[in-house]
Amino acid sequence: MNETLHQRAQRLLAESLVEGIAASDQSWLAQHLRECADCAREAAATQDALHALRSVPVSVPRDLVARTQMRVRLRAQENGESSRGSLLLWIITGASWLLGVFSAPLVWRGFAWFGGHFGVPRLALEMGFVLWWTVPALLAAVAVLYQRGFAQGFASQRLPRETKSPR
Amino acid sequence: MSAQAFTLMAARSPLLFAGLMTDERQTIALGLRRRDPDLLDQLIEQYQQRLYRYLLFLTGNPALAEDFFQETWVRILERGDQYNAKSKFESWLFAIARNLVIDASRRKKFASLEALADPETQQPFEPPDLHATSALQMLLARENQQAVQVSLLKIPVYYREVLLLRFHEELGLEEIAAVLATPISTVKSRLYRGLAALKSALQEGAA
Repeated sequence: MNETLHQRAQRLLAESLVEGIAASDQSWLAQHLRECADCAREAAATQDALHALRSVPVSVPRDLVARTQMRVRLRAQENGESSRGSLLLWIITGASWLLGVFSAPLVWRGFAWFGGHFGVPRLALEMGFVLWWTVPALLAAVAVLYQRGFAQGFASQRLPRETKSPR
Repeated sequence: MSAQAFTLMAARSPLLFAGLMTDERQTIALGLRRRDPDLLDQLIEQYQQRLYRYLLFLTGNPALAEDFFQETWVRILERGDQYNAKSKFESWLFAIARNLVIDASRRKKFASLEALADPETQQPFEPPDLHATSALQMLLARENQQAVQVSLLKIPVYYREVLLLRFHEELGLEEIAAVLATPISTVKSRLYRGLAALKSALQEGAA
């Protein structure tokens, strides 16, 4: 036997494990391993190594599954509450918008009466009318953004402690 | 259906088996989209061993593996709608776990995990953090295992990872490539080098 045959055997041995080899190569390899003690020893060493890899004992910590299940359920609950809250917010916003659209002529009539009664210039009345609609919306937007920022800051402060497993 | 019956059926009627596997994936995908807590409980239970083992092999540290285990399932809950049922669920699970570990290693600069983020660099391999290694060694020692198994920890983490996915989890080359987000050729080369590293680590351990 020359060195090239052994090298071929080593290559086929590795290939058979990683990507598979053709049936003809398989039978050649089997024949070679029967005849060559060194290559057979190498093949056995590879099998032993893989066996050792497969038999590394890993036992999952006793309560890890229960803790994870509880944490996932809590997060799902939080997400559910948050999405319900968002839905409610959208409904209120939509209702408020509809109310605004339909009540706008009445509000403008009220502004016109106020302007006529107290002699307020038309420009001031128009500005007041615009502010009447925009200020509450702006305040609501600021409140929502502030609340979101606060929640994120709180979460990032909590995260390191949350991820630490109680031991 | 028992595992034996399932295997027998897979051997006898591969088409039916493939159909059942697809059905199972579809069921998982639907449940994840609905964020079904019972399904998640079941998946956590079912994949506990495989996910924990994978994370332990990646991090070499039981405490970190526990943290990432929990984080992975929270991520699965939140991104469940991204699972499209085209690939095996476990491939997607491992990919999510791996990304979490890499993200954390980038943020916190875990010495042992940096190699994972860019394993094909020409830089020499840095051995895993000594504390992490000793923690895993302690775990193995508690289990009264042979010293030969501890020597597995001497293998670079990115080789250990592909060896585990191929020979323990029995994933195909394409599936491993999907988990690692690398070309199949890279997976193959890591497997060849990993096999060589595994053998030499075990020979050194035995010597």
